[in-house]
Amino acid sequence: MKRGLTILVIMALLVGTIFAARQLIIFHWWTAGGEREAADAMFDVFKCKHPDVEIVENPVAGGGGVSLRVVLQSRLAAGIPPDTWQTLGGAELKSYVDGGYLVPLDDLWNELDYASVIPKPLANAVTIEGHHYTIPLNMHIQNILYYNKKLFKELGLKPPKTYSELIEVAKKIKNAKPGMSPLALGTKEKWEAAFVFDSILLEVGGPEYYVKLYKGEIDVRKDPNFKKALQMFKELIPYIYPYHSTLTWDESCGLVVSGDAAMVLMGTWAIGYFKTRGWEPGKDFDAVTFPQKPERILLFHPDTYGLAKGAPHPDVAMDWLRTVASKAFQVRTDVTQGGLFARIDIDPCFFPDPIRKELQNYVRNHPDKLILDQHGSIAPFSFTQSYWDVIAGFLSDPNVDRTISSVADMFELYSVKEEAAWYKWP
Amino acid sequence: MVLFHCPDKISQKIRERGEGSKEPGSMRDKILNFLVFLLPLLLVLIILYGMLFWTFYISVSNWRGTSPNYEFVGLKWYRMMFRLDRFWVDVKNNLKWLVVGVGPTLFIALLIAYLLEISSLRGFETYIRTLILYPAAMSFIVTGTVWSWMYQPDRGVLNTIWRFLHLDFLQSGYITDPKTATYWLVLIFVWQYLGISVIILQSSFRTTELKEMIESALIDGASRMRILFQVILPNIRGGLLILGGLLIISALKVFDIVYIVTFGGPGYSTDVLAFFMFIATFQQHLVSLGAGLSVVIFLMAFIVVVPYTVYAFRRWFS
Repeated sequence: MKRGLTILVIMALLVGTIFAARQLIIFHWWTAGGEREAADAMFDVFKCKHPDVEIVENPVAGGGGVSLRVVLQSRLAAGIPPDTWQTLGGAELKSYVDGGYLVPLDDLWNELDYASVIPKPLANAVTIEGHHYTIPLNMHIQNILYYNKKLFKELGLKPPKTYSELIEVAKKIKNAKPGMSPLALGTKEKWEAAFVFDSILLEVGGPEYYVKLYKGEIDVRKDPNFKKALQMFKELIPYIYPYHSTLTWDESCGLVVSGDAAMVLMGTWAIGYFKTRGWEPGKDFDAVTFPQKPERILLFHPDTYGLAKGAPHPDVAMDWLRTVASKAFQVRTDVTQGGLFARIDIDPCFFPDPIRKELQNYVRNHPDKLILDQHGSIAPFSFTQSYWDVIAGFLSDPNVDRTISSVADMFELYSVKEEAAWYKWP
Repeated sequence: MVLFHCPDKISQKIRERGEGSKEPGSMRDKILNFLVFLLPLLLVLIILYGMLFWTFYISVSNWRGTSPNYEFVGLKWYRMMFRLDRFWVDVKNNLKWLVVGVGPTLFIALLIAYLLEISSLRGFETYIRTLILYPAAMSFIVTGTVWSWMYQPDRGVLNTIWRFLHLDFLQSGYITDPKTATYWLVLIFVWQYLGISVIILQSSFRTTELKEMIESALIDGASRMRILFQVILPNIRGGLLILGGLLIISALKVFDIVYIVTFGGPGYSTDVLAFFMFIATFQQHLVSLGAGLSVVIFLMAFIVVVPYTVYAFRRWFS
């Protein structure tokens, strides 16, 4: 009798805690070193405002969200979504919207007046058919050229801002240090090659061309710009680290630190990597956006959070999204993680490194110079994945005509024109 | 049927127990037997064949993107698949894995097993066997990582050794050269499966009949090579057939080595069907295309494995 009573009491307590607890079930891929600290910072800010909420993370290891997407996709298809999950803006977000997994957040955007505090291209990247679907918390910039500052000083070089300057600098480095690759690159995950190619495209065609190309509005087969860009990419090959296909992006940045390479074209997240290797921004390495001709365009993608349709705790999720949009949250998280602030009303001086200070300042004064990059892409996922493969393969087998015809095929095969029609720029 | 055959002693015991109880209970036994086998039977039917059918159905539906779409579109995705250059590269690579992966493993394993059994190395047999078996005890994730260190052209183990020995002409780009990369991956497979292959072959050497035959052949003064090809080979068919089947299936479903070592690169030159299936389904969100690729893998396995099994069983029971 007595025992039965105890069991009853325990059960009542258990049931009580289950129902009383306010939970936030969240999927994110910031689990690796450096990014883990950013995730902790972000939950810290949230906990500070909502100490009663229990955060249930379901982090799956693996950068860029490769493994996370596998788990998330099966959970969504099975009808057991988390409350909120990390997604990039652009094509990835669109795939969730098309699947009907996200709730539009137009009211929240109005409540926060979010559209007026972030750059317009950033708002466009998470707006599909007039509805805002997620809250972006940062912007990663793709086209940044990092260089070994001491080496550049030693050889009397200026950081290249155009393709011809890049070739010139590369030649000088190669002459002075025959054992060194002027440009580091790691194409194991393929997208890294597309980063370099994007920069060339941007210089050859300019921003309007770039957007039109990835919206599928250009006939690649007859397009002189695309052909020219490929030829320029081919000319660059002798200056690129030859065994790029074995390296991931961080290993390729490692080549710059170890002195095997002089420069690397990588996103803002590389700053964090250089720091963990003990390199001081502005002292050991520095960066310029590349190219700066004909215009200084920043290719970007945001990390964002949205509200799941059928979220188990929608109230908590809304509290989370309000926090994500706040200045305090973005300052702590973005400074740790490596991107720029999504809000342009935050003082750029919060960044400890001169590189991001300068970039944030530029974005603040020129919020219209942002275009979606390869990760939060304009073109659909199905296209970009195979596009990366072809561009990475081009580096080992630089056949211009064949590459043009297979890229042209892909634009048709993955019906890029229809799938990318949602994107508006400027 | 063979599977359900009880050895005589056990069936006798069961019979005794049946006689001991008041009722003969043959009916009850039958029902019990049926129930016991029903569960695994259902599991096989539902999980294996159900999923197989489901995959096939997805491949003729129109599921692209994150939410299921079961609208029937016929062979649309197969037609698209055949238009993809990547698909044909994959098929070629899978065939390379099959040919270069299975044959050499069998042959080298046979030689090693023979050396261990016959030659003067016999005293060291246990040590050598442990040495060879080690790779089999590791997962592909580990072997893959280790071998990527070996193959790394800059600082990798192999090229460093060649440079140290002044054998510079042996240096190579290994997995960075799209023309040869797949073969270097297959070498990892051979290395990994060699140990278990040797063990399986060795065990089939150790029948008393075979031992006697080898002894008498030795007394007759037959050469060692002749013993291997004319005495041993015809008498270890069972072991060879099992091993061949195991290797063929492993080579067809290869995924992990490619995923770890090259991620399909450079470009997609080392891609295989199973890896493309993963990319298509979870990266490109073309689930129907991914399902179609699985069906192709299944058909390839079917075409290779079924005739093999039929042949194997015939030889075995003849």
